[in-house]
Amino acid sequence: MNWVSSLMVLLILLGSIGLVSAEEKKEVVIGVIGPMALPEGTAERNAVMLAVEEINRNGGINGLPVRVVIGDTKLNPNVATSEFRRLAEEADVIIGGFSSGVMLAMMETMAETKTVFLADASSPAHSKKVEENYKKYKYWFRISQNNGSTFAWDLAEMIDFLRSKCVDVKRVYVIRDEHIWTDAVMKELRPLLDERGVEIVKDVRVGRGYTDYEPLILEAEDLGADLIMPILAIAGTGDVLVKQWAELKPKVLIAGHDLAAIDPAFYEKTGGLANYVIFIADGGALVTAPPTDRCKEFIEAYKKKYGHYPESHQAYGAYDAVYVYKTVFEMAAENGEDPFNPDVIVKYLEMINKSNPLVLTRVIAFESNHDLAWGDEYVRNWISQWQEGKQYIIYPKSVANGELKIPPWIVTRTPVETVTPTHTPVTPTPTPTPGFEALITAIGFIAAVYLIRRFR
Amino acid sequence: MIEEVIRVIAFSLVISGIWALVSSGFTLIFGVARILNFAHGSIFMISAYFAITLLKYNINPILSFAAGIIFSGIVGVLIYKVAMSPIKEHKIMVIIVSLAVALLIEQIVLNLFGEHGISFPSLIRGYQEVFGVKITNMRILAFVLAVLTIFLLEIFINRTRIGKMINAVAQDMEAAKLIGIDVERIYTITVFISSILAGLGGLLYSQIFAITPMASLKALIYAFAIVILGGLGSVKGSILASFIIGFIIVLTITFLGARWSEFIMLLTIIAILIIKPTGLFGVEE
Amino acid sequence: MRYAIPLIAILLIALLAPFIVSEAYLYVLGMSYLFIILVVSWDLMVGYTGYVNLGHTVFIGVGAYTAALLQSSRLFVILPPYISVIVAGAFSALIGFLIGIITLRLRGYYFALVTAILPLVFMQTVFIWRDLFGGEEGFSITGIQGTVERYYISLASMLICVLIILYIARSQIGLKFKSIREDEELAEAIGINTTKYKILAFVLSSFFAGIGGALIVNYRCTVSPDLYDIPLMLLIILSAVLGGLGTIYGSIIGGFLIYLAKNWWLKPIISQIPSMIPVSDDIILYTILIVIGILMPRGIYEELRKVASAIVKKT
Repeated sequence: MNWVSSLMVLLILLGSIGLVSAEEKKEVVIGVIGPMALPEGTAERNAVMLAVEEINRNGGINGLPVRVVIGDTKLNPNVATSEFRRLAEEADVIIGGFSSGVMLAMMETMAETKTVFLADASSPAHSKKVEENYKKYKYWFRISQNNGSTFAWDLAEMIDFLRSKCVDVKRVYVIRDEHIWTDAVMKELRPLLDERGVEIVKDVRVGRGYTDYEPLILEAEDLGADLIMPILAIAGTGDVLVKQWAELKPKVLIAGHDLAAIDPAFYEKTGGLANYVIFIADGGALVTAPPTDRCKEFIEAYKKKYGHYPESHQAYGAYDAVYVYKTVFEMAAENGEDPFNPDVIVKYLEMINKSNPLVLTRVIAFESNHDLAWGDEYVRNWISQWQEGKQYIIYPKSVANGELKIPPWIVTRTPVETVTPTHTPVTPTPTPTPGFEALITAIGFIAAVYLIRRFR
Repeated sequence: MIEEVIRVIAFSLVISGIWALVSSGFTLIFGVARILNFAHGSIFMISAYFAITLLKYNINPILSFAAGIIFSGIVGVLIYKVAMSPIKEHKIMVIIVSLAVALLIEQIVLNLFGEHGISFPSLIRGYQEVFGVKITNMRILAFVLAVLTIFLLEIFINRTRIGKMINAVAQDMEAAKLIGIDVERIYTITVFISSILAGLGGLLYSQIFAITPMASLKALIYAFAIVILGGLGSVKGSILASFIIGFIIVLTITFLGARWSEFIMLLTIIAILIIKPTGLFGVEE
Repeated sequence: MRYAIPLIAILLIALLAPFIVSEAYLYVLGMSYLFIILVVSWDLMVGYTGYVNLGHTVFIGVGAYTAALLQSSRLFVILPPYISVIVAGAFSALIGFLIGIITLRLRGYYFALVTAILPLVFMQTVFIWRDLFGGEEGFSITGIQGTVERYYISLASMLICVLIILYIARSQIGLKFKSIREDEELAEAIGINTTKYKILAFVLSSFFAGIGGALIVNYRCTVSPDLYDIPLMLLIILSAVLGGLGTIYGSIIGGFLIYLAKNWWLKPIISQIPSMIPVSDDIILYTILIVIGILMPRGIYEELRKVASAIVKKT
């Protein structure tokens, strides 16, 4: 160890002295955090910046200018928590998220730094934490989409709707993310499907970046499924699924939750092969079907500033989050309370509930566990379909602007009774994992081979 | 039952063909220059991204495809000249630097294009029914192209003059120098060929499946596994190995599920390595 | 010790850091100490025996998951952090031993290649048995609470590990390791049991890597498969190469600089650059590694030494 190196280390340690100043707060700082390499992250960032620009143009929040700080989670819990921590040093509120697992990690940091977090993630585990340990996690509010279990309700209603349109749905082939969020959805969904006499012929879990859908599609056809129900978000390859489906033209519909399909550019991305894909639109808003006037204005302003429509539904949530914070901040200041105090903000946020919602790009109301209120008058996933390059909402009727269309290569099924089942119904359990026995056997085999060689 | 068998064979042939292209390129560079090119996977990935960008500018798909292949060759040579040739005596540094190049390219592509995959529109649409199993025409084309290319590669290496020079350098670099072969030029040519192979593999893969920036590392690992099995330096070995591996992977996916496939494959490699450390046809150091 | 004064000064500042620096920075500082343990343990193997282990993250991950599992309720026991860290290290060492006896028979390239694919096998186990290991996003444990406590524990662990490794490296054992790097056949010829020492180095390296991994999960309070992943390996390589392979000190400085650069210094710079230009902290670091690798293939330490001694000779 020589002088130079030790001097360097000294300087480094010294140079990092960051004194925390206790001066008057002269500005409001809003933090955005998300996976910036993904459309979900960039949409959040863009939406927040757009909102802040508008606000600053109109005098700021309670007269104070607003500044944005940005963090990138890289969809990695380790990076996310240190980014969150870094943002929390300056930010008064943090908006964003995406991906329930990363969110769980960030919630811990949020609890430590006591920062209000207006979040985007769907796992019921998050609001459960708020419920079970209110004091610790109360700073968390779900704003971009509903609690994942509600997706099951939307999916079940989707099946009811299809049946009402003479599409007999008796067998479903599920393709879902290998992730805790889909586990929660499935838990809610299974009893609902049982009620309706719908059988899950297979439940396939795919990892991030999975692309080999062809065998699955063909298998679905073989098993006589009426529809393939994707529950995808993290996999990120919804466009590949749709492409391969359209190429193979199986006698199976695609109807379910596919985050990729919500993107307005999805049709283009798949070269038009997305035609007839039925999907549920998270966050309660579609570019072609804004639920409020404010939403319409937002979409146009977004297009004007960025040259394209919001690339993911997270944009609406993030935009709303900024205005929710502004509203609550100003209310608190008006009542003489300290708007920079996170506990105060939490109090006022909780006042936005079902009987007193806030109308922004969607109708926002929080439940007692800080979930976003679900319902036709609040936020729910619209059942939608891609038709000839446009997204149409086909259900519920109150917001529908299109009719269901069946792909021409699918003939509506003859009643199932006349087809003798060539297979016994598969019990709806996830693909069995052979477990440690397999590993032990493998190790034993390898060890045996090694020993035999050794003593040859 | 017969359908399952046909499906397994069809799918494994295609995937094996693509991996054969990639791994023979990797092993070729090693056999000739004794360099482990960790940036090989990046070429696999970047050819597809280049072709798709061309497509966005409304260039004919077939032209984009061809351009993508040539692009990979050029990029491969560039990387070699800048990052590996100057330090090719320091074998360890070459590994480290090429690995850094691979990750650098992955990050740049990630920044430019985002994390979601891209897929190249299929050159041929439609499908065939073979014994009741639907196989897309694109898969058939990919397999045919892969086999054709490998065949051409064999002819090139064994029949042409340059091919023979490559063989000579691979067998004994010093002796080759002595008889007047420009070794550096041979290295460059080898890198070009190897990169083209990887690029073609990547383009085919992106048409049937999709490519993400992370695919570069995945391709690298598969190339490693196959090359280790087949034996470093032996093109024949890696071709054979890729068919074995492809078969194992598809079997595993069909019967155990997708998530087991890589695990089983890697375990098999390790098991075989214990039995025969230099792989099936490996060259000695 | 000639450099007692600057060393004591540094130690003093490190001890007083919680009172001087901001919390967020303290957090990063603490993590950097743990990162140093990872780099130093790698250098012990690669810098000294010359066997390039590209699968170091296997041991980091094994240590991490072992500790995490022992401290969560997913297994049948729950151990306090200190014990689970040691157990994790021991288990890592065991895995190191098993892997070592199989792979250390291979030389040069084969060794590098085979160790390169190992982390992926282990990473797959996380996804396959995701109920146990938590899948892609891992799970949380209680770990060590309190930013300041964490910092001191991290600092103390780093000092202990580094001192032990320094002792080994500077001892007869370390000398034997180096002999393997210089000329393995010659070492064999003069009677050094290279197999025994190779395995010893590997086991030691994996032990400390396991400890490092276990400490990291206790620090972050979460475990996730990124501890098995290649970018972490490359970061370790970068730090060791930058600092100079085969000198433990170099790894300490390299690790410290690189970790802080990536997680603290570069961040404000990056956010200033418009999103048009594809630049991120990783990109800058990788570019640095590439440039250094091409210009100074022997490592910074060696090249600087040459320059330094050339200057000394002239004066």
